[in-house]
Amino acid sequence: MKKYPLYIVSMAVLAILQHFLFSRLVILGASPDLLAVFVAYVSVIIGQRTGIIFGFSAGLLAGFLSGDPGLAALVGTLEGFIAGFFHVSPESHPTMVKKRRMFYFGAATAIAAGNLLHTLLSNPLALPAWLRIPSVMVIGTASSLFFAVLAYQLALKKILKD
Amino acid sequence: MLSIIRFIARHSAYLYFLLFSGLSILIMQLQRKETLEAIRTNGMAANAAVSERLTGFGDIFSLRNENERLLLQNARLFSKVIREDTALRDARNLNDLIRRDSTRVGRIMLARIVDRRFSPLDNMLVINAGSRDGIEKDMAVLSPDGLVGRVTAVSENYARVMPVINKDFKVSVVSDSSSTLGVLAWKGGNDYMAHLENVPSSSRLKVGERLTTSDHSTFAVRGIPVGRVARISGSKLFSDVDVRLSVDFPSLSYVLVSASKPSREKLEIMNGGESAAPAKPALKRK
Repeated sequence: MKKYPLYIVSMAVLAILQHFLFSRLVILGASPDLLAVFVAYVSVIIGQRTGIIFGFSAGLLAGFLSGDPGLAALVGTLEGFIAGFFHVSPESHPTMVKKRRMFYFGAATAIAAGNLLHTLLSNPLALPAWLRIPSVMVIGTASSLFFAVLAYQLALKKILKD
Repeated sequence: MLSIIRFIARHSAYLYFLLFSGLSILIMQLQRKETLEAIRTNGMAANAAVSERLTGFGDIFSLRNENERLLLQNARLFSKVIREDTALRDARNLNDLIRRDSTRVGRIMLARIVDRRFSPLDNMLVINAGSRDGIEKDMAVLSPDGLVGRVTAVSENYARVMPVINKDFKVSVVSDSSSTLGVLAWKGGNDYMAHLENVPSSSRLKVGERLTTSDHSTFAVRGIPVGRVARISGSKLFSDVDVRLSVDFPSLSYVLVSASKPSREKLEIMNGGESAAPAKPALKRK
């Protein structure tokens, strides 16, 4: 409960970073999604319901910056919901290895689902659909997972130990 | 009733998902409404403002290239101005248009001043272009304002330039309207004033006349601006003429090096050589 203000501040900072920095790293129409990694983390560690709320809020925030709050909120909600299935309950006294594995699986599944939904609902861009969907699914998920690993190694590992 | 509550508690995550998904879809539908449209527009405006600043930040790194591109363009325009200016003067003086060939400034190279030594007596410049860039000794060094000096020593990547404001520097100049010839020299002191020597008292030279390099120069093609007559004081045989130089030496950071020089044959003749003209090959008679 004490960490919620920290999560909210982190969410706001990540939304700004995502919009002005990471969304510019576009490779074949896909870019890494830091907010998705964050939502997946919250959902896996705290729980599915909290993940859904944070996913919705983070999506809404990012959407106001990008100009499409509805779609971004829906994608965030889905990511929180999907990652919640990999929730690690503290009552089960999970090991660090399990926490890490569940976080990676949760993040990968949630990001892939979010990318798919976003690609299907957003307007078609330069690439044709047959090429756009796989490229966004693979490249978007892979690049986001890269940041998930980076985030875990740099900060989340220490937080999870505490 | 209890079972319904128990069911809801057990599947609350699904209900949350449905609730927030519904909210998101509602927002998607309401995005066309005026209030949300205003929020959306303001968000886009803030985003555009930040993006513009981020893009502008990147431009700083390309300023140097842009500056050099503009300087090269300036050099090309300057060479054109000198050519056309000289051609105009030739036409006015009814000179033979063929002589215009000797006024070609030719290829102009851009160089940056990397070292300088300014003193009341002895001035010297070092530029970042050398023999590798095609620089040779005795090439004329210019700026868009006029003559800067001449190349006196060349290494592979650098060249030393003796500027007009050096006591050893002399250049033959001609005045614009009265066509008075003289030799420009610098005697120390101000870095913007030089002296015109060998001007007879009988000449029609006037204050304000523009001086350019003449055909008699041994290193510079004619027509390069040098300065303007600032003061003429009389004496018995020769006038004492002060010239305000057209180049602002303290603020000079880039220079142009003109690749063309007066013809070697002409220089040999001027220096008194008797074998300047190439020997004609004997005609073969069949």
